[in-house]
Order: sequence, then structure tokens, then C-alpha cells
Amino acid sequence: MRRAVPPLVGAGLLLLLPLAAIEPRAWLTLTVAGLAMGMLIFLVASGLTLIFGLMDVLNFAHGALFSWGAYAGFTVAVAVDARWGWAASPSVWANGGLLLLAVAGAAVVAFGLGVLLERVIVRPVYGQHLFQILITLGATIVLEELIRVAWGPNDQVMPVPATFQGSWDVADVVVLRFPAIAIALGLAVYAGMQWLLVRTRVGLIVRAGVENTEMVQVMGHDIRRYFTGVFAAGSALAGLGGLMWGMFGQSIRPSMGGEQLIFAFIVVIIGGLGSVTGSLVGALLVGLAYNYVAFLVPKAAIGVTMGLMVLVLLVRPTGLYGAGR
Amino acid sequence: MSVGALTPVQAARRAERRARWRSLALYLRLAVVAAWALLPALGPSYQVLDLALKIAVFATLAASYDVVLGYTGIVSFGHAMFFGFGAYAVALAAGRLGAPTYGHLLLGVLAGVLVSGVVAVVIGAFSLRVKALFFAMITLAFAEFALILAVQWGALTGGEDGLSPRMPGVFAAGAPGVLGLSGRVVTYYALLAACLGLFLLMGRFVHSPLGRTLQAIRDNELRAEALGYRTFAFQLVASSLGSVVAAVLGGAYAMWVRYVNPESALGIPIMLDVLLMVIIGGIGTLEGGLVGAAVLLTARTLLPNLRGLGGSLVAGSEILQRLSERWLLYFGILFVLVVFFFPRGVLGTVRGRAGRRRRTVMPET
Repeated sequence: MRRAVPPLVGAGLLLLLPLAAIEPRAWLTLTVAGLAMGMLIFLVASGLTLIFGLMDVLNFAHGALFSWGAYAGFTVAVAVDARWGWAASPSVWANGGLLLLAVAGAAVVAFGLGVLLERVIVRPVYGQHLFQILITLGATIVLEELIRVAWGPNDQVMPVPATFQGSWDVADVVVLRFPAIAIALGLAVYAGMQWLLVRTRVGLIVRAGVENTEMVQVMGHDIRRYFTGVFAAGSALAGLGGLMWGMFGQSIRPSMGGEQLIFAFIVVIIGGLGSVTGSLVGALLVGLAYNYVAFLVPKAAIGVTMGLMVLVLLVRPTGLYGAGR
Repeated sequence: MSVGALTPVQAARRAERRARWRSLALYLRLAVVAAWALLPALGPSYQVLDLALKIAVFATLAASYDVVLGYTGIVSFGHAMFFGFGAYAVALAAGRLGAPTYGHLLLGVLAGVLVSGVVAVVIGAFSLRVKALFFAMITLAFAEFALILAVQWGALTGGEDGLSPRMPGVFAAGAPGVLGLSGRVVTYYALLAACLGLFLLMGRFVHSPLGRTLQAIRDNELRAEALGYRTFAFQLVASSLGSVVAAVLGGAYAMWVRYVNPESALGIPIMLDVLLMVIIGGIGTLEGGLVGAAVLLTARTLLPNLRGLGGSLVAGSEILQRLSERWLLYFGILFVLVVFFFPRGVLGTVRGRAGRRRRTVMPET
């Protein structure tokens, strides 16, 4: 992991840089908010890292899966809340249970859609970028329209468990509660992905299959089934990200995925294709930079993500952790 | 070699030139141009004239995207941005420099072309060298940035509301017109001529030696590079040309609708429309854009009317009601099917069939 040190040092320095212009306490608040936002972005980008970074599929339907996850989680949350009233209940356990069920609903639905997408439309176009773009764009249109058919075209209000609303005040630093949960979830996802990809046999086969599909098939592994699994796992992460964004923003709408998609692509490119660590660092960088710049120069915040990407690509054309494929 | 004998190349060229006058494609093209040119004489309603000119503008826009996507093999998501640059440049020049004159209009078009050219070269210079995917992503990011800029910089661009500039002379709303033609029709002919000129220019470009080189790069970049072509420079030229043409068309569009806002001229939806037009018509056919634009724009104009009909047929269930309202859903399904079964688009498939038939007939001649 020696290669990984320079970007980390760079990221650390960038973290401290705004201290020159912002007073320490505000800086701390902004940093916490930035980390939380970064983690939420990471949840979306982590799935894309698998699909776009690792498998090299330009999946524009990722945004639609994101929306589907949000709507599926929303349906579960509303149903659970209507039956047992867990959202408004003061009990932490009931609140946590609601969140868990919603997360499970979002992940399962997005996973199923991922299997379907991979089997039906993505499999014939592996290795053909243009057709991947076209066909997943078509899928995006269909999936988004289906959301409008099933749930109606208007915004829906997402029920958020009472425990996770508001903020904690830790030594004068405002810590929003829900983003804190998101940080924990993001770290868990990161650890799980790293473990699965680096430490297990499944991860080994997947990584080898990306490098040389035929060789892995010759060794007797059904690599297509693994790819379906990876694609579906990435889709499930998109759905999870959608649910968390929906709860963060407290409302969901059919087109919400498209807006996040560009963010996620930028984060994966900043981080370097195929690197989970890269997209984590990239997402945190984007989240932090956005918060700092929005505080210092509000008008410039809109361009900061793009500026960051241009900067990173100028210095390291393969992204922070990219292997230079 | 005796004097007057033809070399094989000369003979082939001469045969090609003679064959050109007998080819169906030429007469089809002339017929299309004639149809568009004669349309105003039929005295159509405002909607029909509007649709015809929009098809012409978007067909040319799709063709200019095809130069980049189909002939050069670069996936760009910034094409609508250049269209928007042109549209905004013309709208600003006509609307913000005092009373509009023809000079302002020209200035607007030139400014749009200049800005688009510079931005295209800058984007290309630092992102065409890296992976092809990155070019797509970087153009997407730039397009998003341009959109945000247009919305946020309200003092200049009018924000979400956009600009509705007054046009000079015969291009103005309700202008008296010349030679017995109304101002609207004169504008129609001027813009149609511009589209035709750009179309011919692009046709010349893709069939020039430069265009052939581009196709070689598209098909096998490594090999073209090995043959000594500087692929980067060629790709830069092609993407810049496509962008500049898009800017001129943006200006034309602004002159026709006299209204520019971020959503109608700059947004990702426009980009997707153009992409769909190219795919429906056929990648790498240039004229396919016309088919795509005609299908898409006509469908968009007609389908909302059909929607009411569908709604009345299934008045009972809410889900069925919604299903009948979402025509975009069926469009998406159709699009996926087209990409699957006709990956070369309408014109590409037709040409492929015709070409195969000709090849089976040709040998004995």
C-alpha cells in the first residue's frame, strides 16, 4: 500500500488548508458536515465503483436504481410506520428497526433489478462502451417512468425516525444525527467491500475475472455468474444510497437519481477506476471541499466538484488510486 | 501508355461520377430539400412550419453530433452545451446591445462560434489524451457547469426565465417581410439555407481525406497511430468542428423561437434528444439525423394529443390511466429494442440492405 500514501497526505493537507481562513470551531463543524456529506456520496459511488470502476460498464441506469432504492425503502418505511408507528415512536429500537427494514427493502429491490438489468440488457454489450451508454440510458428512461407510474410523478415525503432527526451538540460542534448514522453505515460498507474484494476467494475470482475473463473461465469458474453478482451488489448499494439520500433530504422524487449520477461518476474518476479506497477518499474530498467552499465563497460552490476533478486529472490522469488501466 | 487512355483510378472516378446521377440517394436528397423548400408555399399552419424548421435545425445538429460520435468515435456529452453557447450568444447580442441590428446578429453568431471553438479546444486538449471514457465524463461535467452557470448568473442570462430578445429587421416578430413573403417565411428560408449549407459542409468534411482518416482512427486507433497519423490532432479538429457547427445552429434556433432558457437550449435533456436522434437515424450516416429528428419531434408534437384518447379508453383504473399517460415509457422500451435489434439505426440498416443488394448485382458490370 505504499502507493496509497501520497494521496492520503494530500487529502490530509487539504483538510487543514481552510484553517487559514476559517476559525477553528466553524472549521470543525464544516469538517464534520463535509465528512457526512462525503459518506453519503460514497454510498452512491461505491456501487458505481464496482460496476463502472471494476467491471468497466458505463452504467447510466445507476441513477435509476438509486431512485428505485429510495422508493422501495420509502414504501417499506411507510408500511411499517402505518402498522406499528415506529417512525414517531421515542424508542430507539423501534426507530432503528424501521431504518433497518427500509434499508433491507431498498437493497433487495435494487439487487433484484440489478440481476434483471445485467442478465437482459448489459450482458450482450460488455466491452462496448457506446452501446452500454445507450442501452442503460434507455433502461433509465423506462425505470424512471415506471416509478412515475407506480408512485405518481410528484415528490413524496420520506418518514424519518424520530431518533435520527435533529442534531447533537458535542462541545459546541453541531453534529447532525442522520449524517452521523450515514458515516457509520458508509464505513461499514467500505470495510465490507474491502474485506470481500481483498480477503475472500470470491473477491479474488472477481478481480481475476476483470483482468482476464477467459483465463478464469478456463480455471473452471462461471465468471458470468460472478459478474451478475457484482453488478447486482453494485445496484443494491445504489439503492441503499438512494434510501439514505432520501432520508437525509426527507423527500424523494423520480428524477433524484439522475442528479446524483454525475456526482458519483466524478467521485469514481477522482478516486481512480476500480479502487474502493479511491472512491472513499474521492467522496470525502468532494464533500469536504464543497462544504469549505460553500462557507467561504458560496457562489463558487457549484463548480468545486468539477474543479476538483479537473485538478486531480491534471496531476494524476488515472485518478488518485487508479492503477493506470 | 497511350495518350488518352485512362488510369484505373481515373476510370473508377469517372464511373463513380456517372453513377452518381443515376443513384436513388441523390434524388431522395433533392426531394427532401425540395419538400422543405416548398412547404411555405402550401400555406401551412404556424405549428407545421415551426415543426418543419425545428426538424431541419435538429437534423443538422444531430448530424454535427454524428461527425463527433459516428465518424470520429468520441463520446461527448457536451454537444448541447455548444448549441446553448450559440443560442445564448445570439440572444445576448440581439437583446443586450441596444436596438437590434443585423450587425449584432452576426456578432452574436461569431461570438458563439468563437467561445465554442475555444472551449472545445480547451476541453479536448486536456481530456482527449486520456481515456476515451474520461472525455465523456469531463464533457458531462462541463455541460452541467454551463447549465448551472446559466441558471445562477441571472444578471446576464436571465436565470431560469431565460431571454426573449427582439430580432432585427425581417427576423423580428410580425415583420412586414419582403417580396410578398411574410417575415416568418423569410426567416424560415434564411435558416433553412443555413442548415443546408452546414449539412453540405459536414458532408464534404467527412468524405474528405481528413474525414477518411478520422474513420480510420475510429476503427483502429492504434493502427492509425502506427501509420503515422497524429490521432490526437485529428480528433481535436473533428470535435471542434462539431462544436462550432452546433453553436451556429444554436444561434439559428434562438433566431427562430426568439426565446432562450437553460432548459430549452442548454440542458441534459437536449443532449439526450440529440443522442437519440443520431441512434434512431443511424450512427455514422450523417443524414440519419434527419430521420431521427423527424421521428422524435413529430412524435413529441403528436403524442400528447393521443394521450387524451388513451386516457378516455381506460378510464377505470388509476394505474392503467397512468400507464397510458407515460408515453416516454414506451419510447424508452422502443429505444432499447432499436438499440438491440437495429444497432445501426433506420438509415444505417436501409443502407446496409441496399449495399448488399448492389454488391450481389455489381460483379458482372
